[in-house]
Amino acid sequence: MSLLDLSRWQFAITVMFHMTFPAITVGLSIFLSVVYGLYWRTGRAVYLQMFRFWRRIFAVGFAIGVVAGAVITFQMGLNWGVYGAKTGPIIGPIIGMEVVTAFFVEAGFIGVLLYGDGRVRKGTMFVSTVMVSVGTVLSSTWIIAANSWMQTPAGFKVVHGRFEPTDWMRVIFNPSFIWRWPHMLAAVLISASFFVAGISAWYLVKGRAKGFARRSMSIALGIAALLMPVQLYLGDSVAGHELPYQLSKLEAIEGNWDNGDTGFVLFSVPDQQAARNIAELDIPCLGSYIAKDLSCKTAMPGLKLTPAADRPDMAATFWGFRVMFLAAVLMFGTAFAATVLRMRNRLWTARRFHRFVLWTTPVGILAILGGWVTAEAGRQPWIVFGQLRTSAAVSHLAPGEVLFSVIGFSVLYLIMLVAYVGYIVRTMRIGPERDDPRHEPPPQAGPVPLAGPPASFAPREVAAR
Amino acid sequence: MTTTLWSATVLVCLLMYVVLDGYDLGIGIATLFERDPAHRRHMLESVAVGWDGNETWLILLGVALWAGFPLAFGTLLPHAYLPMTVVLFSLVVRGVSVEMASQAPPAPRWTAAFGVASLLASFAQGFALGTLTSAIHLRGGVYTGSAFGAFSWFCVLSGLTVTAAYTALGYAYTKHKSSGPLRESAGRRGAAVTVVGGVLLVVLLFVVNATAAPLNLDSPGRAFAFAVLLLFAAGGAGTSLVTFLWKRQSGAADTLPLGGLVIATVSVFLALGVARYPMLLPPDLTVGSAAGPHSTMVFILVGIGLNMPLVLAYNVFAHRAFAGKLDTAGAHS
Repeated sequence: MSLLDLSRWQFAITVMFHMTFPAITVGLSIFLSVVYGLYWRTGRAVYLQMFRFWRRIFAVGFAIGVVAGAVITFQMGLNWGVYGAKTGPIIGPIIGMEVVTAFFVEAGFIGVLLYGDGRVRKGTMFVSTVMVSVGTVLSSTWIIAANSWMQTPAGFKVVHGRFEPTDWMRVIFNPSFIWRWPHMLAAVLISASFFVAGISAWYLVKGRAKGFARRSMSIALGIAALLMPVQLYLGDSVAGHELPYQLSKLEAIEGNWDNGDTGFVLFSVPDQQAARNIAELDIPCLGSYIAKDLSCKTAMPGLKLTPAADRPDMAATFWGFRVMFLAAVLMFGTAFAATVLRMRNRLWTARRFHRFVLWTTPVGILAILGGWVTAEAGRQPWIVFGQLRTSAAVSHLAPGEVLFSVIGFSVLYLIMLVAYVGYIVRTMRIGPERDDPRHEPPPQAGPVPLAGPPASFAPREVAAR
Repeated sequence: MTTTLWSATVLVCLLMYVVLDGYDLGIGIATLFERDPAHRRHMLESVAVGWDGNETWLILLGVALWAGFPLAFGTLLPHAYLPMTVVLFSLVVRGVSVEMASQAPPAPRWTAAFGVASLLASFAQGFALGTLTSAIHLRGGVYTGSAFGAFSWFCVLSGLTVTAAYTALGYAYTKHKSSGPLRESAGRRGAAVTVVGGVLLVVLLFVVNATAAPLNLDSPGRAFAFAVLLLFAAGGAGTSLVTFLWKRQSGAADTLPLGGLVIATVSVFLALGVARYPMLLPPDLTVGSAAGPHSTMVFILVGIGLNMPLVLAYNVFAHRAFAGKLDTAGAHS
C-alpha cells in the first residue's frame, strides 16, 4: 500500500467515524429543543423525562463527534499538507467561520444543556438547548459549503498553484452547495428520527415506559414521514445538478462501462483495471425510465467516456450509492407504513412493526455514510474536482509515520465505537424510568446530590438568592 | 498590516488555548496523583462543564493558522506529525472519558484514562512546540522530511516544561474551585510544581540558543520587551508560589495563584514570540512568506475577527454559569 493509499484510508476512516456522531446528534439536539420547549409550555412531566433520557445518549455522542472532528481539521495539514497549503486561502476561512459561529456557540451552551437542568431557569435551559442546535445546524452549513466547493469549485483563481478567492459569494454558494445543504440537513434529521424511533420501539416491544416510548416514537416517525418524500426529491436534485459538473461520478454511480445501456444496474462487481463488470445484474429499461421516460431508448453514460486517468473507483462509488439509495427506500417504506398504521389507530398495537422499527435504528446513519462514500469516492481522482489531484495533495511523510497513525486511529475509533454502543445499550437497559420527575424523591435541604457532574456546584442563580 | 493583525489573532488563540486547556489538562494530570476517589471525582466534574469550550481554541488556533498562513499549516503539521498525532489520540480519549465518567459514574477506568490521556496530551503538545526549533526541509515549497528528523532533546525538555506549567495551572484552578483538604493539598502541590516548572523554563531559555532557532534579541526594543516580559513572568510565578501556600480561605488566596500563573504563562509565550517574530520555522519560513492572499486576509479579519468578542462572551457565559466553589469541604458521599 502506498503513502497515498494509507493517507486516503486514514482520512476515510476518520471522516466516517466522525460522521456517525453528527448523524445522531444534530437531529437529536433539535429533538431535545422541541421536547424541552414542549415541557416548558405544557409543564408535562413526560417531556422532561424524554429530555433527560435522550440527553444521556446525546451527551456522549456529542463529545465523540467533537473530538473526532478536531482530528479531521488537523489531518488536513498533517496528512494533506500540500492540499492544506494550496486550498488554505479558501477552505481555511470557511472552517474558521464554522469554528467561531458554530463550535463556540455549541461549546458555550452545552454545559448548561447537559448540567443546568433544575439549576437554571427553564427559559435559560430552553435557550441554551436551542443555541446548541443552532450551532449544530450552522456547523453542517459551513462544512457542506467547504466540501461542495471541492466538488464544484467556483469564485477563485489559481496563482502559483494556489487557490485564491475572487468572489466569496460564489465560493460559499457554489453550484452544488444549494442542493447538497438541504439534502444533508434532511439526512441528519431523518437518521436521528430512525435512531430515536428504533430505541423507543425497543421499549414498546418490552412493554416498558410506554408513555415515554410512544411519545418519542410518534414525534420521530412523524418527522421521518414528513421528510422522506422531500429527501427523495432533494437527493434526485443533487444528482441532477451535479451532472453537468461531475459526469464521471454519475457514470460510476450507474455502474456501466460502455455507453448505451438502458437498464438499471442492481448488483455489480466492477473490475477497474479491465474496465468491465465481472458480475452484473440489471433491470432492463429502468435506467431509461429514471433518466427520462419508459421509451427504453435513453442510454446511461458509461465510465469509458471518461479517460482512464480521470476515472473514480467504480466499486466504491456504485456501492456507496446503492447503500444510500436502498436504505432510503427502506426508510421511506417504514415511514409510510407508520403513517398508515397511525391513521388506522394501530400504531401502538402493531408489535411486529415495533420489532421491525427496532432493526431500522442504524439505517439512517448507514445511508449518510453511503452518501458520503458516493460523494467523496466519486470525486476521485480529484481532491478539488478538475483542479487538484488527490495524489498531488498528500504530505510527503515517511510511510511508517502514517502507518502508525492509521493503526492507532483505527484501534482507537473501534474502542470508542464499542464503548458508545455499550453505553447506549446500558442506558437503554436502565431505562427512562429514572428520568421521570414524577418518581423523584422530594427535595431535601441543602445541595441535592443528583447524578451528573455539577451536583456539587453552587449554581449561580441559586447562590444569588 | 493585515498579516500583522492576523499574526496577533493567531497568538491570541494560542494564548487562550494554553491557559484554558492548560488548567483543564493540568487537572487531568493532577487526578493521577490524587488517592481519594471523591477528590478525583470533583476534579473531573470541574473539567466536565468546560473542556469542550477550552479545546475549541485549539481548533480555532489550527484553523486560524490554516486560513491566514496556509503554507505554515501545511508545513508545521507534517513537521510535527508524530507528536501531533499523539496529541489528537489523547484528546480523543480524554474527551470521551470525561463524558463517559460524568454520565455513568463512578467509572474508575474512564477516570484513569482521563488522567493518563491528559498527561500524554500535555507532554506531546510541549514536544510538538519543541519541534518549532528544528529546521524544516522544503523542496519547491513542499515539505520533505523524515519521521524523527524534527526530534531533539530540546523537544523533551519543552514537553516537560509545558506539562509542569499545565499541572501548576490545574492545581491553581483546583484551589480556586475547592475547599477543605482538597484545597490544601492543591496549594501545597501547586507550589511544588510551580518551582519545578520555573526551573525547567530557565534551563529551556538557556539551551534554546543552541537550537536552529536561537532567540533574536538584536534590536534594543526586542531585548527590552523580552526582559520586561520575563520580569512579568517571574513576578506572576512568584506571586502564585507564595499565595499557593496561603491556607486561610480568602479571595486573594484562591484567585492569586491562578492569576499569577496566567500572567506568567502569557508573558513567557509573548516573550518567546517577541524573540522569534516574524520567523515561523527555521531557517527561512516567515510569517510573510507563509501568508495567504489579501482577499482571504480581509475575509477572515472581518468574519472571524468580528466574531471574537462573541466567542469570548460564550466562554465567559459558560464559566459563569458554573461559577462558585465545588462542595468539597464536607463529608464525601
